[in-house]
Amino acid sequence: MIPTQEIENQLQKFLQREVFAPEVAVTPETDLVAAGFDSMSLVRTLVFIETTYGLWIPESEITGDALRNLRALATTVSRLLNARVK
Amino acid sequence: MNLTELLDKAAGQWPQKAALIAGDDVVSYAGLVEKAARLAAQLQSFQLTGRRVGLLYPNSIDYVALTFALWRINAVVVPIPMECTVGEISDLAATMQLEMILSQKPIGESVALSSESFLTRLTPAVPPDNHGLNLAFIRFTSGTTSARKGVALTHETIRDRVAAANAALRITSADTIMWCLPMAHHFLITIVLYLSQGATVVLTRLLLAKAFLETVNLRRGTILYAAPFHYALLARDNSELRLDSVRLAVSTTCALPLDLAEEFHKRFDLPLAQALGIIELGLVSLNTDDPRGRRNSVGRPLAAHRVKILSPDENGCGEVAVSGPGFFDAYVAPWIPRETCAPDGWFTTGDIGRLDADGFLFLISRKTAVINLAGRKVFPEEIEAVLNRHPAVRESRVYARTHPHLGEVVEADIVLAQPDAELDAIRAFCRAQLADYKIPTKLNCVSALPRTAVTGKIRRVTPVA
Repeated sequence: MIPTQEIENQLQKFLQREVFAPEVAVTPETDLVAAGFDSMSLVRTLVFIETTYGLWIPESEITGDALRNLRALATTVSRLLNARVK
Repeated sequence: MNLTELLDKAAGQWPQKAALIAGDDVVSYAGLVEKAARLAAQLQSFQLTGRRVGLLYPNSIDYVALTFALWRINAVVVPIPMECTVGEISDLAATMQLEMILSQKPIGESVALSSESFLTRLTPAVPPDNHGLNLAFIRFTSGTTSARKGVALTHETIRDRVAAANAALRITSADTIMWCLPMAHHFLITIVLYLSQGATVVLTRLLLAKAFLETVNLRRGTILYAAPFHYALLARDNSELRLDSVRLAVSTTCALPLDLAEEFHKRFDLPLAQALGIIELGLVSLNTDDPRGRRNSVGRPLAAHRVKILSPDENGCGEVAVSGPGFFDAYVAPWIPRETCAPDGWFTTGDIGRLDADGFLFLISRKTAVINLAGRKVFPEEIEAVLNRHPAVRESRVYARTHPHLGEVVEADIVLAQPDAELDAIRAFCRAQLADYKIPTKLNCVSALPRTAVTGKIRRVTPVA
């Protein structure tokens, strides 16, 4: 099982490096949508999660709650990974 | 002819009707014409007739007003996608010989026109030559490695393709279009067409399905024009919200997966109509005739267009060639007029497809190595050139991998020059030079790249399953 904290760290590194402009400091609390996260950012983040964890987040899970911030997104990934283990 | 006439005519007919809605901001047709005229007056002194002006703006009322303002003073509009890096913008500016860039945020030595409008003067090394054409628009298509870097269109060509497209879309002043695609990539047979017919365009975004559905219902949207990924978000939404006001949902930019078409249809009782649009010709076909029965067809060619299959095999499959009004005027950098690249009036698309007995076009694969990531085109050579500049990379090969949800994703095989190289550092290096969607999803370290026996060139693969 991958700790949620580690997922959060990996997502943070990815978003900072490949999605947001360098001047946007991504923290676990950053409101992703307000920071400019768009549908192409979402596509790339979903592919990153799939490549890293072998999990395609179903589109039904792409809600305002899941995209509230990085921490919420990491929690969603963790929950779906755990559900798969069980 | 000038495209501003289309907007002026609509404003004459429907002056008080909402042309564009962005959040709480609403601009009427008369208001949009006035805004464009004011901006044109501001830009007049720069003597931009026939000059090429880059437009670096996100979707907004200003984007539309500035485009019509530039047309009013006979400047040539060159959209610059917002995702471009600084390096890509300079490359585009140099290749397209831009005289000026208008942007929402300051870049380089910008001068403020207003709090949300900046102007950067550039001095092209050689002044652009439009070869006597009444140019309105140039679409930059690819980076440094492609032989054809831009597609140039005159006012007349755009007018013709708008008219041809509307024979199929049948947009009227009763329509409300829910707009979520980037204007820098889609503008002519969409925004210009809608505004020429007195329709209302609602600028929105499609990231959270529920929020989008609420906006459609609030605005009573009648037309959706989006990419398959957007429709996947909608089809899998858990709310009870419906799309009862929508009369036409067009799926464009990349192939629509069959199961998604079915799922969307079931969820909303609305079929998705696939369209084939290409920058060289505009809208070529739209499947409004049989979107239920022939879900994987891009439809019959528009009334004024013709499609033929070149050298068909025993299954009728071959390269798709198209002909019709609104044919592009020239490639730019180097300048190749359409008479030279398509002397017989047929454009070969690079797509492999077939026509069925009723004239419906089905696209099967393509001849070129271009990768389509959720509707954005990625040119492998451009990414390879960047990867190969990294000191830890000896050589690389970029290709499409088929993906069950997205159609394709970008991957790269790399041969490392330094075995202990950090892949994340190579990715960061790519990010600094390339728009985000071009960065390979995966970097696979390999010991050698496959080469063709005869020329020794790196062998291209399209796409890998």
